[in-house]
Amino acid sequence: MEQSKKTAQWQSVIFALIHGATYLPAVWLLKHRVFSQPVSIIIGVVPIITFVIFIYKLIKSFAVMDEVKQRVQLEAVVIGFALTVVLIMILFLLSLCGISNALWFGYAYLVCYCWLFYFVGWFISKKKYGA
Amino acid sequence: MKNTIKVERAKKNWTQADLAKNIGVSRQGLNAIETGKFIPSTLLALRMAKVFDTTVEALFQLEDGDA
Repeated sequence: MEQSKKTAQWQSVIFALIHGATYLPAVWLLKHRVFSQPVSIIIGVVPIITFVIFIYKLIKSFAVMDEVKQRVQLEAVVIGFALTVVLIMILFLLSLCGISNALWFGYAYLVCYCWLFYFVGWFISKKKYGA
Repeated sequence: MKNTIKVERAKKNWTQADLAKNIGVSRQGLNAIETGKFIPSTLLALRMAKVFDTTVEALFQLEDGDA
């Protein structure tokens, strides 16, 4: 049981690294090189596939966590989701006012903010339960 | 909600790590339960009562504000 927990956690970490190793080069290639549209789509799809596998492994690792850790993860996701919604709402309302800065709040940055908010939630919840 | 986990643990001369291993939670998780920061599920409470050879009611008691 303990071994399967560790295996599931390590698998999610490994697939997170694999996703990072495909996402960053894919973004770099699509930004700095010119490819035909089908090739661009293939390059764009690869990190999506690795991300889906990573999320699948992450959910599997949640399933084998003890209930305190599950609560920590749940609260982290809720806080992360709520903060992301707040940010998107603010950006939407600012864009209606004619204020928007795509340089700092483009799609790519929103993904980073989403992860940042998840880790903020994780930190808060971890501190709350001391787990 | 208050609990007597620490007392029961002391009776058996178990560390948090020992009890955590017996009931299948992390030591940090058990600490959160023992200090009252986290209320365990029925399953975990029953498991705990079983390893201490006692009842859930003896392990966990409602406080005045909980009712």
